[in-house]
Formats: sequence, structure tokens, C-alpha cells
Amino acid sequence: MSIITIATTKGGAGKTTLARLILGRSALSGLRAAAIDADFNHTLTDWVSTVARTPITVRHELDETKIVPLVAELHDAHDVVVIDTAGAASQATIFAIGCADLVLVPIAPSAADIVEAIKTVNLIRSASLMMRREVVARVVLTAVQPGTNIAEHVEKEVAKAGLPVLRTRLHRLVAFQEMSFTGIAPTSGHAGVQCSNFLDDLEALGGLPEATKLAS
Amino acid sequence: MSKKDLASVTADLSALAQTMPTQRPAVPGARASQVVAPAEEVIQFSLSLRKGLRKQLARLADDADMTMRAFVLDALKAKGLDVRPDDLTDLRKERR
Repeated sequence: MSIITIATTKGGAGKTTLARLILGRSALSGLRAAAIDADFNHTLTDWVSTVARTPITVRHELDETKIVPLVAELHDAHDVVVIDTAGAASQATIFAIGCADLVLVPIAPSAADIVEAIKTVNLIRSASLMMRREVVARVVLTAVQPGTNIAEHVEKEVAKAGLPVLRTRLHRLVAFQEMSFTGIAPTSGHAGVQCSNFLDDLEALGGLPEATKLAS
Repeated sequence: MSKKDLASVTADLSALAQTMPTQRPAVPGARASQVVAPAEEVIQFSLSLRKGLRKQLARLADDADMTMRAFVLDALKAKGLDVRPDDLTDLRKERR
């Protein structure tokens, strides 16, 4: 059973998109997938409740005192639990990080995204020290537009900041945006390939059980 | 480094979490004692009285370092009217 927390103190970086990809593809491959939506906007909860085409358990929980007990509750009955956090520093985010096998920190191409990602990674490092356990964290570059100056600049800035980056970059693709309406995580085309590579990366880091490969 | 233990997450991270804002929704009723009652509408009330009485009232109120309004209400409070402390607030001091 794996717990993946998606966190960054910047809103609009792609947290919920990553959550949809992981949950949608995990459920499609037969894994028992659950989500904890700790975001005020409950976007993930709405997506699972209204458009998602695969069986996913979702719970909306803002109360930081209930995050850890909820993870423990979902832990045994599911193969993967994804925690989507709010786009701001909060107590709930800290406890969600503490529960995780893997923390993903999305960065969309903007200076603010990089600044907030640095803060979030520092927060994860502090949590690791306090728990005397390494929490594996990776920055995920989202909405990448390859070949552009901004994409190159973001890569350089992330490297300069010493942030641990996931190998797969997720491009700015219509299929990822369509997911919010179709409820289907992409399995074909460029988006499908990127999604598969993304899931492979998570699996290699111990963030996902192997079965997610089946849907590739 | 130790292994992941959900049971210890809260205790281990409480100190760090305390530095962050809470997202916990307010529980309806939990802060009822702190909730200020909605302000009651204040209306104007005119009173006709002899000029001499008006002068006496002004003098007595001045001697008591009160407004005429507060002086009258204080007197009525002694008669059992439900006069609250904020009814006796001297607004002139706030305006200075």
C-alpha cells in the first residue's frame, strides 16, 4: 500500500492534475485507489464524484487533526492513497507529508512556482528531520512547453536550487486538460506515454505498486 | 532513519505544524459564547419638557459628568428599564 502526497504552497501548479493521473490510471489498472482531498476548493472530490469513470474512494477533509486517522482508515482497504493538499502552507499539509511514502511537488513554468516549491521541499526536509525518517520527495515539472525559453529557464532554476526532479516532464497537453471534463486519465497518444512514464517513475521510487503498468 | 509509522506522525510533527495556519473548519456553536449579539437598531426619540426642566437636566448631567442621554437612561435603569452598559457610553469622548 502506497501513500502519495501532492504538495506545494503555490496554487495552480498542477497538484490536482497529478492526483487525477495517478488515481485514474491506478484505478484503471485494477488497483484500489483512494483520495484524500485536503483542498478548500474540493476540486478533486468533485472530479471523482461527478466525472471520474473509474472506482475511486474520495474523502474531503480539511481538519488537520483528522488527516492521519483518515489515512490509517484508508490504508488497509486500498493499494494507493493520494493526498491532494491546499495551495498554501497549512497544518494539514504537514501531516499529509508525514504520512507519505512519496511527496510530489509540481512546478508550472513560473517564478512563483519555483519559489514555493523550494519552500515546500524545505518543509519536507524539516518534517523528515523531525520524524527521523527520510520522506522521498520529487519536483514534477508540469505544463512544460518544450523548446521554449521559459522551459529552459525553469530547468536551470530548478537545478540551481538543487531540487530533486522527477525524470518525466509533463507537457502542456490538451489531453491533461480534457481529463477534468472526461474523467479519463489518458492512456494513448503523447499524454498516455507521458503518463505511463510518470507512473513508472513513481513506481521506481516506491510510490506505487507495480500493477499501474498494466494500464500502459 | 526510522521506518514510517503513522501512529507517530502527529506527535513527531506537531511542533512543526503549530507554526502553520490551521484549515480546521469552525464548528457551529462551539464559539457561541464569543459571538456578539447582533446590534439592535438605534432609534431617535424626542421628548418635550419645560425649558426649566431641560436646564436642570443639563446641570445635573454635567455635575455627574454624564451626557443628558446617559443621565436619563441611568435614572430609568433604576426604575427597572433594561439599560445595558453600552447604552451609557459617552460617545462624545470617542469623537474627541
